[in-house]
Amino acid sequence: MPEPTPFHPRTSALCRSLFWKEWAGYHAVRSFDTVIDPEYFAFRHAAGLIDVSPLFKYDVSGKDAADFLSYVMVRDIRKLQVGRVAYSCWCDDDGKAIDDGTITRLGDDLYRVTSAEPSFRWFDQQAEGFDVVISDRSRDIAALSLQGPRSREILKGAVGSGVEGLRFFRVMEGKIGKTPVHITRTGYTGDLGYEIWVEPKGALAVWDAIMEAGKIHGIRAAGLDAMDITRIEAGFILLGVDYKSSPHCDIEEQKSSAYEIGLGRLVNLDRPSFIGQRALREEKERGSEWAMVGLDISWEELEALYDAYGLPPHLPAQAWRENIPLYKEGRQIGRATSGTWSPTLKQNLALATVEAEFGALGTHLEIEVTVEWERRVVPATVVQTPFFNPQRKRS
Amino acid sequence: MSAEIIVIGAGHNGLTAAGLLAKAGKRVLVLEQAEVAGGVGAGAEFHPGYRGTGLLHDTTAVRKAVIEELSLHSHGLSLRGSEPPVFSPALEGKGVLVSSGREELPDDHGLSDWDVEYTAAFREFLGRVGAALSPVLNAPPPDVFATGVGDLLSMLKTGLSLRKLGRTDLLEFLRMGPMCIADVLNEWFESPILKAQMAAPAVRGSFTGPWSPGTALFLLLQTASKEHAGVQGGPAGLTAALLSAAKANGAEVRTGSRVQQILVSRGRATGVSLTTGETFGAETILSTCDPKQTILKFISKLDIPLAFRNDIRNVRMRGTTAKMWLALNGPLEFSSRPGRTFERIRIGEELDDLERSFDGAKYGALPQVPHLDIWVPSVSDPTLAPSGHHVASLLVHFVPYHLEGGWNDGARTKLEENVLSTLGRYVPDLKKKIVAKETLTPVDLEARYGLTEGHVDQGEPALDQLLFMRPCQSCSHYATPVERLYLGGSGSHPGGGMTCAPGRFAARAILGKK
Amino acid sequence: MAKSYDAIIVGGGHNGLVCAAYLAKAGRSVLVLERRHVLGGAAVTEEIYPGFKYSVCSYVVSLLRPEIIRDLQLPRFGLEIIPLKCSFSPLPDGDALCRWDDPELTRREVARFSPRDAERLPEFSKSLLKMSQFVKPLLSLTPPDPCSKNPNDLLELLKVGRRARDLGPEALTRLVKLMTMSSADFLDEWFESDVLKAPMSVSGIIGTFLGVRSPGTAYVMLHHYMGEIDGAFRSWGFARGGTGQISNAIADSARHFGAEIRLEAPVSEVKVHRGKSTGVVLEGGEEIDAKVVISALDPHRTFFKLVGPQHLDPDFTAKMKRYRMRGSSGKVNLALDGVPEFVSRPGVGPHLEGDIAIAPSVNYLERAYDEAKYGNFSSKPYMNIVIPSLVDPSVAPPGKHVMSIFVQYAPYHLKEGASAWPEKREAFGNAVIDTLAEYVPKIRDQILHQQVLSPWDIEQEMGLTEGNIFHGELGLEQLFFLRPVPDWAKYRTPIRNFWMCASGTHPGGGIMGAPGANAAGELLKTGAI
Repeated sequence: MPEPTPFHPRTSALCRSLFWKEWAGYHAVRSFDTVIDPEYFAFRHAAGLIDVSPLFKYDVSGKDAADFLSYVMVRDIRKLQVGRVAYSCWCDDDGKAIDDGTITRLGDDLYRVTSAEPSFRWFDQQAEGFDVVISDRSRDIAALSLQGPRSREILKGAVGSGVEGLRFFRVMEGKIGKTPVHITRTGYTGDLGYEIWVEPKGALAVWDAIMEAGKIHGIRAAGLDAMDITRIEAGFILLGVDYKSSPHCDIEEQKSSAYEIGLGRLVNLDRPSFIGQRALREEKERGSEWAMVGLDISWEELEALYDAYGLPPHLPAQAWRENIPLYKEGRQIGRATSGTWSPTLKQNLALATVEAEFGALGTHLEIEVTVEWERRVVPATVVQTPFFNPQRKRS
Repeated sequence: MSAEIIVIGAGHNGLTAAGLLAKAGKRVLVLEQAEVAGGVGAGAEFHPGYRGTGLLHDTTAVRKAVIEELSLHSHGLSLRGSEPPVFSPALEGKGVLVSSGREELPDDHGLSDWDVEYTAAFREFLGRVGAALSPVLNAPPPDVFATGVGDLLSMLKTGLSLRKLGRTDLLEFLRMGPMCIADVLNEWFESPILKAQMAAPAVRGSFTGPWSPGTALFLLLQTASKEHAGVQGGPAGLTAALLSAAKANGAEVRTGSRVQQILVSRGRATGVSLTTGETFGAETILSTCDPKQTILKFISKLDIPLAFRNDIRNVRMRGTTAKMWLALNGPLEFSSRPGRTFERIRIGEELDDLERSFDGAKYGALPQVPHLDIWVPSVSDPTLAPSGHHVASLLVHFVPYHLEGGWNDGARTKLEENVLSTLGRYVPDLKKKIVAKETLTPVDLEARYGLTEGHVDQGEPALDQLLFMRPCQSCSHYATPVERLYLGGSGSHPGGGMTCAPGRFAARAILGKK
Repeated sequence: MAKSYDAIIVGGGHNGLVCAAYLAKAGRSVLVLERRHVLGGAAVTEEIYPGFKYSVCSYVVSLLRPEIIRDLQLPRFGLEIIPLKCSFSPLPDGDALCRWDDPELTRREVARFSPRDAERLPEFSKSLLKMSQFVKPLLSLTPPDPCSKNPNDLLELLKVGRRARDLGPEALTRLVKLMTMSSADFLDEWFESDVLKAPMSVSGIIGTFLGVRSPGTAYVMLHHYMGEIDGAFRSWGFARGGTGQISNAIADSARHFGAEIRLEAPVSEVKVHRGKSTGVVLEGGEEIDAKVVISALDPHRTFFKLVGPQHLDPDFTAKMKRYRMRGSSGKVNLALDGVPEFVSRPGVGPHLEGDIAIAPSVNYLERAYDEAKYGNFSSKPYMNIVIPSLVDPSVAPPGKHVMSIFVQYAPYHLKEGASAWPEKREAFGNAVIDTLAEYVPKIRDQILHQQVLSPWDIEQEMGLTEGNIFHGELGLEQLFFLRPVPDWAKYRTPIRNFWMCASGTHPGGGIMGAPGANAAGELLKTGAI
């Protein structure tokens, strides 16, 4: 039975569609209206406000906090300065990904880690021998994500000064009304955006203040479905959808390494030992088995295929997340793990895991499409992600 | 400084391995933390004029192969002609006096006709099973996942040697193995005191009582591991010979050298550093310390695979043994057999006495009436004590390392009192005879010998900590997931006790022999 | 001349009925003879107190093999199983642990005691599920004999060996650990919270004369992961109308396929002629002949009451005597005036709609065992409680409830001897109610009627020797090719045409039905009938 988040009184009042889902044990809105376009376009043209409280949050503190995090993360966290945020993933000893999330350095010896799935035990188990304390703050901190081109203006209105100077992947402390908050210049939409972290008791006041400040900027409460489209456009992977956490896998074949989920750029191999180092080093030398790629599914061919049935092309209104077979010359060489029609790019996009040799940009593949209960294929091309990468994202 | 092979620990396994490796032409350096070599087998004066013979008693399982390969006879080792019988005194009656499996029952055994008859039958059965099992103890563990023809053959051989038992014995063995020793003994015997005496070895060192399933197998294994009547001078006699042999073969033995860390670089062991800061490089390192100490203490967690570390962490080694030395101004005289002197004594009158002691250990309590395994080595070697005087070695069982409230002087005194009052019930003038005593709690054993949790077998004998699972699957063949690091103490197959087998197998693994 | 049958089955317990149904379904003429006026043996529901239907002995079901449900079409004959909602463990300090059917709820609940354990649970389930996938096929296998020279036996054995090897080092290691370790030690490798470990560990001791720290008890935890209802794992359930309904459904299925079932037809002996059974004699003197006689009684009763040592080789008799079946549990059934109120979670709620475990700590359980080892019933026993009337109103009058309490340890062999049970029964009942009252202070005021069954009573009433609910202890030395005794683990006996089909044979006890089905399969395979 899911629980309500601290923002539930506000979200439930606005959720006319009654379209909810369970997210990490909480009730979460999929979309406030039955049509999600306004929420999507709010993210891309104005600002969308979404409750992301179900994220897991862990504070890592103590003298060895940086060493410890560098030991569990594929990324060397020792380089992270106070006030900055880093994105990383963490792996098991075989280099297989467990989860990914952000690490925010809040103080000299204080870091906050977010994760999609519970990770307390994993971190705590690895902490032996390090002078660190790990505390699970998941229930103590509610979170909102304010995303979209107008988010900076809105937040300026709600917080006042300081926000305009907050650069990409930085954190600041501030107050919204009387409520102290942490604001990070981060998000999951690939757009200009912020995430606001607040204790549950101040949650509603913060929601109200942001909505009030956003009124004149076209702010809109948004749900997970709209965010899902934006995150695929941004090329962000999702745990449990695009890859499976290694401890939750039933067989070895279900596991993916940091390289195989496209996060190789984060891996710093040449440094003191970290979990998964040996395996990742070997994989780097040997080459990965799988590659995570972006696919552009040919719209023209899709249209032609439907046309052959006398049908107009049909696409779901939301992003999809079923595994769909990919072929090269009739042989299955991978699977698309999630995808969406991009209302901004007017492209049919997917994230996919393919055999590494088919991961090069420009590779032509085929993706299965079912039309009128018949399985067919249409061409798809490996393209660069992010699919959508506006300049304002990093501004 | 550097050596080809560093052996950590100059206990019986370490010295065995060092001797064999040196004999094979390797440059071997043995590092021992104590001031004297010998480990748990080191003899030492515990009171002026009174010498001990090492921590353990039984040396009948010292592998003949080791004695031969190291020519230990030419290094002063001699085997006893016969094993002394074991006396179990009773508060009422004369108690029982039972010889080991090889010798005739003494005339004054004190057993009923039934028990005499079944003792003989049981011993024959044990003898047959022991013979079938001994290939298992005289070879490295079967490699279950091997694909090589040799491995499969050796597994098949073990299987065949068991099948050679014949249908009846084999079925009986398979049935008995998982049983509790109490049920087995109740099926065979009637005398409570005989059953208690026979059950004791089956539960020694394991966190089990006679009513715990699986304990019967350990009686079988122990019987199977006997090779002769024991070494003159006990463990101390053995380690003295091993030390001499190791040195004669060219191994260097440095005592007072406590290892701080095993150095690992990119997954490969490269040397060790001592607490003094001194470091030694080596191509190969063999640790005969217990697996937890070796893997969890000596090696930085950054240098070993997590899964391996977890497996080692899960090795169960809850110490339940304490040790007491008594310097006596005369022989131990038992009220149930006045005027007689015994070399080996076990105190415990019925199975439930043992079980009750174990009950306490489960909850971290001191046993009120501890089970005692006593050896009076001065009976056969009068030089250990001044003329007419004796030394008695007491192994006190079911004394928990994890004592409720922790170990301190008060607890040690209480343990001493419980031991002496228990023994005093059978030896009325005990108090007057004691010249001096030394008591080692499990915590003391940990401190003195570097045995994690004071466990004398470096890991409980248990069904899941045997063969290819001792100490854990990934290092059960002496090599570990850390390249060039080997384990070869009692924590490895075939386990604890004075066998020297793990040291020998580890040396052979290093030399690439099967 | 009296009718002659292909098969007579002695004992109308669930295994006897399953065996009968399979044989009847295969077209054989079958007669089941039950001593009592009701069917089901230990799987029986009786209205001991007017309006209240007690599932007198067995009270929950999980292990009933799904293929048996399908083959015998049991739902058509009234079998309906209601899954348990949760597992509720009240604690003496006024707190409680609830493990729900909803994993997320369980995670949050366990996290109150240990966040690490909460996160470890799914991994644990996964691991045990993998093991149970390995073990499950063994349940419906006639155990191969490792000492046999028959190539088929060796082949079967090799297959089992190869499957074990194919598990890979990690899983195989875990499997060996699971088969040999104590549940307490095994759980220690996974979890830290005593509050969680204690109720998890008890599945290893139910019905055994072992403690949670006894080696070999971890294995039984697997059974919890093999319990299948609708393909969902870990599900235990109530049979609607009481456990007896399972037996009734199987009986109706057997009848449907043509089996005859006679109640109040106690068999006094099996007729043996020249080492061969030819039929049975009823207590009234009536003789009935059959090509084979199959005993659904426990092995001791089978060989020492039905057959008699005069027909047996002394070696076999000696082996059979060694077969251990020390009963270790008792049962208390209560008729209640209302819903019992637990201090730790007052009021009626879903937490009561599953099983309730009085198992506050591992040491509590072990201490309960310690007492039993020396021949006393536990003064603070482990109890497994269900209130089936909360989800199945058919078993009690409106607003009233039945409470079924499984109690361990109650050793059959008291230190004063088993015959002391009639004098000790009341004290035993009091110990149970006193313990319960620590968690449900007002329980005494709610009791309308109570039935206390010691193992001695279970022996007297249900005919289970020494009151052992599994027809023999589930130690490794009495399982698989050693159950019940070496050489005779394939449902056959030294007497030709005389078979066994109940819990005393592989794969053992519980309302599983596998022994009955396996025996029928094996019998049909031989072509004897």
